[in-house]
Amino acid sequence: MHKIVCLSVISLLCLLGGCEKEERSFYDGLGKKPVYITSGELQDIRNEPPQPIQLSGTIFLQDTLLFVLEQRKGIHVFSLKDSLNSVNLAFFKIPAITDFVISGQVLYADSWKDLVVIDISDLQAIKATDRIVNVISPVFYPPLYNGYFECADESKGAIIDWEDVTLESAKCVTTN
Amino acid sequence: MKKLLFTASLALLFFSCSDSLESLSEPGKSGSITRFAIYQNYMYVLNLNEVQTYDITQKDHPVLVHQLATDYGLETINIYDNTVFLGSTTALYILDISNPAAPVIQSKSDRLSDLGFVGCDPVVVKDNYAYSTIKIIENICGRTSARSALVVYNITDKSAPVVVGTYGLNIPNGLGYKDNYLFICDEGSDQLSVFDISNPEMLTLTNYGVNITDPVDLIVDGQKMIVSSKTDFQVFDVSDISQIKKLGQISR
Repeated sequence: MHKIVCLSVISLLCLLGGCEKEERSFYDGLGKKPVYITSGELQDIRNEPPQPIQLSGTIFLQDTLLFVLEQRKGIHVFSLKDSLNSVNLAFFKIPAITDFVISGQVLYADSWKDLVVIDISDLQAIKATDRIVNVISPVFYPPLYNGYFECADESKGAIIDWEDVTLESAKCVTTN
Repeated sequence: MKKLLFTASLALLFFSCSDSLESLSEPGKSGSITRFAIYQNYMYVLNLNEVQTYDITQKDHPVLVHQLATDYGLETINIYDNTVFLGSTTALYILDISNPAAPVIQSKSDRLSDLGFVGCDPVVVKDNYAYSTIKIIENICGRTSARSALVVYNITDKSAPVVVGTYGLNIPNGLGYKDNYLFICDEGSDQLSVFDISNPEMLTLTNYGVNITDPVDLIVDGQKMIVSSKTDFQVFDVSDISQIKKLGQISR
């Protein structure tokens, strides 16, 4: 769905599409900028107090436990034992996560370029047990966004968010 | 007899141990939008242009054993009837996993050429039919247009799926079904839409839909259905589809 293109390519697309667009090599104005964390911070997988959902993703139901992804931050755990009153039980902090699955008491998730394995047998005391590095290809553009952004720089670390900023000389743009 | 007693006590020991972990003892299920799936002792993980297979016989230490290249744009995976279904931005892939350690592409239905769509999104499968939503939000040179649909494939021949129907939707997300009813999270119309799929080649939109703000994905679990939205989720009683009842919300 997403395409990341250089300005020159979009100019060409616009030319082909027949719409008018000023040709220039950079953009100044409102847009998005990556928020980075270091590889050290990426290892910080642990429990945090239960918290409200901000931007949900994958959902997973195991018996009466509902796991809800929080984009790039972690996983919420809710008990649905009483369907009339779900209880927010726990939050697993997993930096840069975008997806996960659970098998028994083991949770597998992506975390930037790595696959992490987490023992969740005790929901209140999770433990990372393994990490397979450099197997996941993360995206380097802001999801669900059309417009200009500061190009991602991998040497600065892992992207965990995109913030709204005033850009200077931005060269990257997304079109959906 | 001794042996039997020993086995029995072992079993007892096992059950008493697993008892304390009751809530994590059974296999769980994902919603329809995910890039991770587990099948037997294997886990499949989607990158943008490949399907990775991990051997998880040793659960704590997965081993990457296979990588299957595909076109760019893989988005969702769903396993049904010993078969893998992948939704991508350009196609529906069906993978043969008779050898689960090394999936093989059985077919690839190119949506672009079949339907004139480039889209994405999840696939669910029931019997010989696959139901897939396609969401397209185009913004080229500042012009936004959305063309989205539910596409039904006859997959009796998994090596050659045939499109047997397309139904217009607003901005569809996840989907799922119970018996002869298909539920679709339609973000564009803030609705959980309900289709009657008794005749998969001729669906009818029912008026059993429920209003939900920005629905994202759903899981049907027996008589219950969980529907997630961007910042929340709701539990519904679906024992009577014509009267879907909201059961509760999160207490914080």
